[in-house]
Amino acid sequence: MITQIDVREVLVQLGHGRPDLVTRPTGRAVRTSIELELGRLSGRTVVVLDFSDVRIIDCSCADEIVAKLVQASFGSELQLDAFFLIRGLDDDQINDIDHVLRPQRLALVAETAGRLRLVGEVADDARAAFGLLAARGRTDARELADALAWTVEVARTVLDDLAGRRLVMHDDGLYLAPHTAA
Amino acid sequence: MSAIIEVPQRLDESSFDLVAAGYAASAGAAKVIVDAHATEWISPYGLTTLLAAGQALRERDGHPALFTVPGDRNVAHFWARMGFFTHAAEIFELHGSVPRVKAGESKVLLEVTPVRQAEDVHSVVHHIQDKSAEILTSELGLDPKATMGFGMALSEACQNIVEHAGTGGWVAVHSYNWRKLGKRVVVIAVADAGVGFRHTLEPTQAKRFGERWGDGAALEAALLQSVSRFRDPGRGQGLAGIRRYLGRWQGKLSIRSGTARIAIVPPWDDDTPLVENLAPFPGAQVQLVIPAEAEQAK
Repeated sequence: MITQIDVREVLVQLGHGRPDLVTRPTGRAVRTSIELELGRLSGRTVVVLDFSDVRIIDCSCADEIVAKLVQASFGSELQLDAFFLIRGLDDDQINDIDHVLRPQRLALVAETAGRLRLVGEVADDARAAFGLLAARGRTDARELADALAWTVEVARTVLDDLAGRRLVMHDDGLYLAPHTAA
Repeated sequence: MSAIIEVPQRLDESSFDLVAAGYAASAGAAKVIVDAHATEWISPYGLTTLLAAGQALRERDGHPALFTVPGDRNVAHFWARMGFFTHAAEIFELHGSVPRVKAGESKVLLEVTPVRQAEDVHSVVHHIQDKSAEILTSELGLDPKATMGFGMALSEACQNIVEHAGTGGWVAVHSYNWRKLGKRVVVIAVADAGVGFRHTLEPTQAKRFGERWGDGAALEAALLQSVSRFRDPGRGQGLAGIRRYLGRWQGKLSIRSGTARIAIVPPWDDDTPLVENLAPFPGAQVQLVIPAEAEQAK
């Protein structure tokens, strides 16, 4: 299942008339609203956070919304089997989010110009594997190993690590990029 | 006994240390006079730090200092249009003729504006994005992309007050010709007279730095290592975000706190990255300079 969350709309519902995500209290309020929304869902879900109509996102809001939602997906805060994907941000904004995620050893998938990329702290081999997986939509350990001249064991370890970090989905031996998986 | 703090003829970041030295020397005086009668030019940094000085004097001495309004009518009028006297009247005892100005007379990007809570940060950012984006792009030639990051940097600079100062502060944004650079710049100045970086970080960082601990080390920790007083690893990214933004647009960042001043110096400037043993002045005073027609750094 895919759930799209229009972050600008969340801001509007909170009474913020302008499209700027600034300050920690605002970030917390937006995250709480999103968590409430996600609390109504269950099962495996790709959660698309759509920032297209947001003008500014500062680092404080990026931490309160994006980083803390990703963090919550590993804990008991969210009952959902959630895979987060962000959309509608420019390169500088994605770069800022990347720097917010890295010190926390967090990562998530971003969609820019129709392509998927990893944002945050990810090892080079995992990034290479994700690049191939995103281009193909799905792969398995053998196919990845052949494409990147790795052993199957190494390919499986890298893919399992990506799946464990909720950056790809693992389903019956196949690994799927979030947007194609749901 | 009275003490006089003379405001320099030109008050900007480089001459503010004269005010800070005057502030430090005036401790114990029965009456303090901040004398701006001969001041002819002031930057947004000067306007906001003068208010911080007034706040610091009031808190230290338990009563407001006297403030002598600039003698030059045009200068005083400019200060009035910038909103300085509106806020100065709350913390100083004003002496001299304060010009009356109509609301909306100012053409600057942002007049002197108080920052006390998160909602104030929203107002400041919205004002800049709604009213000033056009000026930033058309008149100053800033890339439209730079104005988005501008709002982010402005937000983070102001949030330092809300999150860490323990008191209110002020922000102002102007554009003017930067003599050393020979072109127009946009300057964001944010100043408070709160607890400062050293006090904020002391509980978590003093032991790590040992004998080196002080205002300079605290500024290094905050600006260069993104250290925060919170244990949450997601905190402390605001100044890093400002640095990245300024790095993209060849901008300059400087922060004075306590007895030290740290700067991220772009190629067009020759400022000193870290200066210590300055005259003590409470709180934090931040300046961001973005050159007009800035080209994004490769």
